[in-house]
Amino acid sequence: MGNLLEIRAVAKNYGPVVALRNANFTVAPGEIHALMGANGAGKSTLVKILTGVISGDAGTVKLNGEEIHFTSPDNARKNGVAPVFQDPALIPDLSLRRNLRLTNTNITKFEEKIAYLGLKINLDELVSRIKLPILRMIDLARALAHDPKLLILDEITAALPANLAEVVIRVMNEEKARGNSVVFISHRLSEIGEICDRVTVLRDGIDVDSFNTSEGDEDRIVSAMLGSKITSDESKNRSVSTGKEPLLAVRGIKDGDKLVDIDFEIYPGEILGVVALEGQGQDSLFDILAGEVSAKAGEIHFSNKKVEFSHPADAIKLGISYVPGDRKTALLPQRSIRENLALTKFRELRSWNWIHQKNEDSLVDKAVSNLEIDTRASSQVKRLSGGNQQKVTIGRWITTGFDLLLCFDPTRGIDVGTKNQIYKLLSGLSAEGKSVLLFTSELREVQLVCDRAIVLYNGKVQGVFNAAKADEELLLNAAYGRN
Amino acid sequence: MKISLREQYWNLSILGLVIILTVWRSNQLPVFGSYEIKTIILGIIPIALLAMGQSLIIIGGGINLAIGAEAILINCITAKYSEGSDFALSLRWALIGIVISVIVGAITGWIISQSGIADIVVTLATSFVLIGFALFIQPGPGGGVNLDFAKYFIGGEDSYIAPLLVLFLPILLIWLPLQRSRLGISFYAIGSSKDAAFLSGVNVARTRVSLYAVGGLFAGLCGVSLTAITQAASPFAVISNTATLNSVAAAVLGGVALAGGVGDLFGPALASLVLYYIPTIMLGYGIDPAYSQIIQGALTILVVLVGGLLRARGKR
Amino acid sequence: MKLKINRSIIALWIILALTFLVTGLVDSYFFSIPSIGITLQLAAPLGLLAAGQTIVMLTGGIDLSLAMIATGAAYIVSVKSESGLFISLAYALIFCVVVGAVNGIAVGVFGVNPLIMTLSMSAILIGVFTVGVSTFLRGSSRMPDLLITASSGLILDPITWPLIIWIIVGGFVHFSLTRTGFGRVIYAIGDNAKAARLAGVKVWQVQIAAYVSCAILGGMAGIMLGGQSGAVAISLANSYLLPSVAAVVIGGTSIMGGMGSYSGSVMGALILSVLSYLLATLNSSEAFKQLVYGGIVLALAWVYSSISERK
Repeated sequence: MGNLLEIRAVAKNYGPVVALRNANFTVAPGEIHALMGANGAGKSTLVKILTGVISGDAGTVKLNGEEIHFTSPDNARKNGVAPVFQDPALIPDLSLRRNLRLTNTNITKFEEKIAYLGLKINLDELVSRIKLPILRMIDLARALAHDPKLLILDEITAALPANLAEVVIRVMNEEKARGNSVVFISHRLSEIGEICDRVTVLRDGIDVDSFNTSEGDEDRIVSAMLGSKITSDESKNRSVSTGKEPLLAVRGIKDGDKLVDIDFEIYPGEILGVVALEGQGQDSLFDILAGEVSAKAGEIHFSNKKVEFSHPADAIKLGISYVPGDRKTALLPQRSIRENLALTKFRELRSWNWIHQKNEDSLVDKAVSNLEIDTRASSQVKRLSGGNQQKVTIGRWITTGFDLLLCFDPTRGIDVGTKNQIYKLLSGLSAEGKSVLLFTSELREVQLVCDRAIVLYNGKVQGVFNAAKADEELLLNAAYGRN
Repeated sequence: MKISLREQYWNLSILGLVIILTVWRSNQLPVFGSYEIKTIILGIIPIALLAMGQSLIIIGGGINLAIGAEAILINCITAKYSEGSDFALSLRWALIGIVISVIVGAITGWIISQSGIADIVVTLATSFVLIGFALFIQPGPGGGVNLDFAKYFIGGEDSYIAPLLVLFLPILLIWLPLQRSRLGISFYAIGSSKDAAFLSGVNVARTRVSLYAVGGLFAGLCGVSLTAITQAASPFAVISNTATLNSVAAAVLGGVALAGGVGDLFGPALASLVLYYIPTIMLGYGIDPAYSQIIQGALTILVVLVGGLLRARGKR
Repeated sequence: MKLKINRSIIALWIILALTFLVTGLVDSYFFSIPSIGITLQLAAPLGLLAAGQTIVMLTGGIDLSLAMIATGAAYIVSVKSESGLFISLAYALIFCVVVGAVNGIAVGVFGVNPLIMTLSMSAILIGVFTVGVSTFLRGSSRMPDLLITASSGLILDPITWPLIIWIIVGGFVHFSLTRTGFGRVIYAIGDNAKAARLAGVKVWQVQIAAYVSCAILGGMAGIMLGGQSGAVAISLANSYLLPSVAAVVIGGTSIMGGMGSYSGSVMGALILSVLSYLLATLNSSEAFKQLVYGGIVLALAWVYSSISERK
C-alpha cells in the first residue's frame, strides 16, 4: 500500500527570507503524524503549500501517488485534503449557515459532525459572535463534513479547553480507524507521544528527523528541534547585577487574554531575555510595555515611579522604545531609510518645522555606518533585506536615545552575519548602561546575548534564570511547562 | 435566510423613522390619498434603485462613484431611442439599456480587479467617461418614451400599485434570490474579509467583476425608470453627481458599513424614503430647501459616527 | 526606486509636452506669450486646490468638500469686503480653519471615513451658503479690487499675479512636504499609520493639521477664482473639485497615501489646464471633453499602478 501523502524537496522563499529549503514529508494511510518544529521552522509554510494557499517554488506534492497542485484550500477540501487553520477560515460578518453555503458544505452532514463532536450550535449565529475555541471546533466539523482522506490540524489543541481537546483526540483516533490520516501540528510535547504514530521535525526549512513515536521520546524531539549545541566560546558569561534598583518592575499584569499574572524586573544595563512558545501572550506583553495597549490589571513601575501609558509617545518620553517583531508594523515601506531612521524625531508638534538637513544627514549617515547598513540612506525601505530592515528599526531608537529597548524577536528570519551584528549592537548598548528586554524565538540567543531570562507559560512567568544556566534544553522544557 | 439581529434593529429603526415621517407628511398635506402616495413612491424610485446598487457594491467592499453616471447614460440611451416609439420598441430599448448597464458595470469591476487602482479613482474616471457617452448620445435634454410603456411604471391616475411594484420587484426578484445564492454570499465574503473569502474558495477577482455588474443592473433599472417617469433624457453631470452622493448617503443611513460585509438592501431603500421626506416636509413648511441639505449632511455624519462606535463596541 | 520615480516624472513631462504641442498645432495662437500667460493664470487656482488635495491624499484621505470651502471663502471675502480687506480675509481664514478642523477631527479622532465626512460636509456647506446668501451673508457678491488684481492682474506677459502667488504658495507647500517635520509625518501616517504611532507620532494631530492646511489652500483658491470671475456664485468652484483630485492622481500621488509629491500634482494641474484649452479650442462637445478627461485620468492611473506596483 503506497503512501497517502508524499512531499519531496519542497522549497519556498519570501524574497530574501528562506521559509523552506528542502522539505520532505511522508504520511501513510491510517496514520496520525505529528509535524513539529520551532517558530519559523517552516511548518505553516509547508501546510500552506500543501493546501493550496500558496504555491511552492520547487518540489513535488503527491497524493496517493498522483502529483497535485491545489489552487486554494477549497480545492484541497474537494480533493480529500481538509485543513483546519489557526485562523478559522470563516467570514466574520456572516452567519455560520451562510459560511457553509460558501464552501458548499452539506448542512446535514455538518450538523451530524457537530453532534458527533458533542456540540450544540445555532447555525444562524454570526461568526464574529462565536468564541475562538468553538470556531475551531466548527472549522473541524466542516472539514470532517467533506469526508477527508487527510485532515490537517494546525495547533488546534492549544486553543481549546481540556474537554474539547479530548474530543479532538477521539476524533483523530476514529479517523485513523477508518483508514484516514491526520497531520497534527502542536507545541504540546506531551500530547505527541500519546496521540501520534509518527513524528517529523522541521528545522530551518528542512526535515531533520522523522521517526515512529515508539522509537523515540520527547527528548529526541527536543534535540531535533534544537540542532547542534553551540560552542562555549560563543556564549557570554555575565553576572547579574544585584543590589541595584530595577529600571522596570512589572507586577500582576493581566491582559484579558493570555496573560494572567506577570511579574518581573529589569535592571539598568541588563539584557533580559523572554522565552515562550507561540501564543503565550508575549506580543501582548510587549504592546503593553510600549504603551500601545492598556493592561486590564497590574502595575508598571519605571525608575521607581508608577507609570501609565495612553499612547506610545508616553512610553517613548520615559525612555522606553519598541522594536516590534513584525517589520511591517515598524517601518514605513515606501519611505527612505533616512525618513524611517528620523521618524521618531517628529513626534512632537514643535519638531514640525524646518529640518536642519545637514544635522539630519550627519546623524543618519552615522547611524547607517554604525549599523553597517549596506544601502544608501535614500533607498526605499521595502527594498531592503530583512536584516537591514531590522537594523533600521533598531537604529531609529539609537539615534533618539532611550533607557529601555523592547526588542521583539529581532533576529527572526535574518541571515547569520546580520544576526551577529545585532548581537554586538545589543551588547554594546548594555555596556553603555541601557537595558534591553529581548523576546527571542531562538533559544540559543539567551546564552549568546542575555544576562538573565524569564520564561512565559500559561499566563505567568514560569521561571527566572541566569543566562549561564539557561541552555536551550532548560529553556525549552520550561517553555513547555516541564519542570 | 435571516438578517442579522443588528441589521434587523437598524432596519426597524429606519422603518420607525419612515412611519413617523409619513404620518408627519400626511398631516402636512390637505389630502393624503393614493395620488399623494403615488407621488412619493415615484419620487423615490430612482434614488432607491441607485441606493440599492451602491449598497450592494459597498457590501462587497467596493464603491462606485460613477453609479449616477451609469444611470444617466441608460436614461439617455433609452429616452433617445424610445422617442415616439411603440410599446414594443420602448420595451426593447429598456432591456438593451439594462444589458448595457450590466456590461458597463462588469467592465468597471474588471478594470478595478486588473489594474490594482483604487476603486475611488477608477470610478471617478469612469464617471467622466460615462457622462461623456451620455452627452454624446443625447447632447441636451430631450428624448421621450412610449406612454403605454411608461404607464407600467407610473401607473394609472390614482393607482400606486405600479410604482410600488417597480420599487419592490427588484428587491423580490433580484435581491432575495441573490442573498441566498452562493454569489450573493461571496459578495459579503469579499467585503468582510478577502483572506477568509479566498480560504473559503471564493474567486475574489471574478466575484468583484460580478459585484459591479449587478450594481450596474440596478443602475440600469434606475435609468430606465427615470426615462419612464420623466419621459425625457437628462444628461446633466450635476444630476449624476448628486444622485451618486445620495446613493452613498442612503447606503450609510441604511446600515451598510463602508468597510464592507455588513448590511442589506432593505435599509437603504427605506433610507432613501427618509432622504426624500426631509426636504419635502421642510419645503412643505416653507423652509428653505438648503436647510434640509444641512440636515442631510449632518445626519449622515452622525449615523456613520454612531454606527462606527456601535460596531467598535460590539466587537469587543 | 530612484529609477522608478524618474520614469514617472519623465512620463509626466512627455505628456505635458505632447499636450502642449498638440494644442499649439491645433491653435497656433496657443504658442503666443499672452495665451500661455492666460493658461497659467487659469491653472493657478487648480494648482492651489491640488496642493490641498495632495496633502490630504498623502495621508490616505480625500477632501470632497474642498470646492465648497473654496466657494465659501470667496463668498465671505466678498460679503465682508465692506469691513475692510484684512477683516474679510480674516473671516475667510477662520472659516477655512474651522471647517478643516471639523473634517480633521471627524477623520482623525472619530475615525469617520474621509470620503463620507467630506461628502457630507460638502452638502452641509452648500446648505449653509445657500441659506446664508439671503440671510447672514447678505452683501456684495463682488470681490474687492485688490483681490481681483491678485487673481488676474498682469505683470508682464506671461507672468500674472496669480501665477506669482501660485509659485510662492506652491513653493511653500512643496518645501513643507519635503523639508519639514510636518511633511515627514504626513508621509508617515499615509504610508503606515501604525508604525508612525509606535514611533510616538500622534496620528490624530497630523490628520487635523492636514485637513486644516487643505482647507486654507482651498480658501485661497476660491478667493482667486472669485477674483477671476469678478463675482461669486454657489457653483464657483464646483467644476474644479474632480479635476483637483484628478491632477493629484495624474501627478503620481497614490490615493492610499504615503507616496507622491506636490511637484507631480503641479504637472497634473498644468496638463489638465492645457488639456482644457485644447478641448475648448477644438470646439469639442462637452461629451468629448468628459470622455477625454476620464480616459486620461484612468490611463495615467493605470500606468502608475503598473510602474509602482504597490502591493
